[in-house]
Amino acid sequence: MSELFVSVLDWIAILCILAGAMLSFVAAVGLIRFPDLLSRMHTAAKPQVLGMLLVLLGIGLRIMPVEETGVFDFGTLILVGLFQVITVPVAGHIAARVGYRTGRIRHDLVVTDELEDRLDARRQAERTRQNGGSAP
Amino acid sequence: MNDLKARKNQGLRALRRRLGKVQIPVALGMTLVWMLLFKGFEPRPESLGIAVLGFLVSAVIMMVFPMPPIVPGFRFRPVQCLRLFCHVLGKMVVASFQVTAQVFRPGPVRSSVVAVPMRTDSDLMLVCTAITASAIPGSVIVEVSQPEYVLYVHMLGVESEAGVQESKQVILTLEERIVRALGTRENVADLEAASAAVEENA
Repeated sequence: MSELFVSVLDWIAILCILAGAMLSFVAAVGLIRFPDLLSRMHTAAKPQVLGMLLVLLGIGLRIMPVEETGVFDFGTLILVGLFQVITVPVAGHIAARVGYRTGRIRHDLVVTDELEDRLDARRQAERTRQNGGSAP
Repeated sequence: MNDLKARKNQGLRALRRRLGKVQIPVALGMTLVWMLLFKGFEPRPESLGIAVLGFLVSAVIMMVFPMPPIVPGFRFRPVQCLRLFCHVLGKMVVASFQVTAQVFRPGPVRSSVVAVPMRTDSDLMLVCTAITASAIPGSVIVEVSQPEYVLYVHMLGVESEAGVQESKQVILTLEERIVRALGTRENVADLEAASAAVEENA
């Protein structure tokens, strides 16, 4: 591979890693700035996904011209990205669900809440059923 | 002597039952992961051995830890999968910028929890839609109602009724892309019937 090509690749890689780092920074700022749990979930899980993909892409471009790093190659990077994207939402979902169910939600910040309506309806139904069961 | 033979037969039957638990598509997927881990895609003589060994390891894993089969299964459509990939990647980039703008905009951030009924009744499609929706910035799945196939999505920065409708449409588009990429024929038929019904109502 020619010198010029390698240095162009290097620059693209550096830009990718820089952009990924910026996105992670935005996530950190959001984590401090947002007021409630659900909004914080967004920044805790998200810009970091694209940021991480960009960093991985940067590393991939960087190691492509250099054969045999010995530690990892492009396939490993693809696996890291894939499993990160698949597993991050699972943890996020559990935290969001538990937070919602235990009432750690600031309802003044949630404009439309269709889940609340459903949970209310279900609680109402349960209450009437219990009352009906206890009555002789 | 007879006892030994009976026990041997029993063992063989158990082994055959365990072999039935091996799902070929899933085993192939695991082999792919194995090959990626061990640089199996470089043109060298060991690559074939890595592939065979990977397949054997995944078969043994599935015999030792049998998993329930994926009902109703899936179909892999390469072209549509590529479209799905580009769609999700594009959405990720755009949404990342939107979330960034929201982070740096002064004032409180409001949001909404919207209910999105799925148009297909497949667990796999539900899970795939939930995961991709979660991976895209600006939306988090708060609750999944499995018997009714409804996703409850928390959308960051959605305040108006129009915004709610728009965000529902985003999730539905995502579902359509996924079903077209991975769904069985019945899933695609369900999806098309549902969207035709919506258009008639409009």
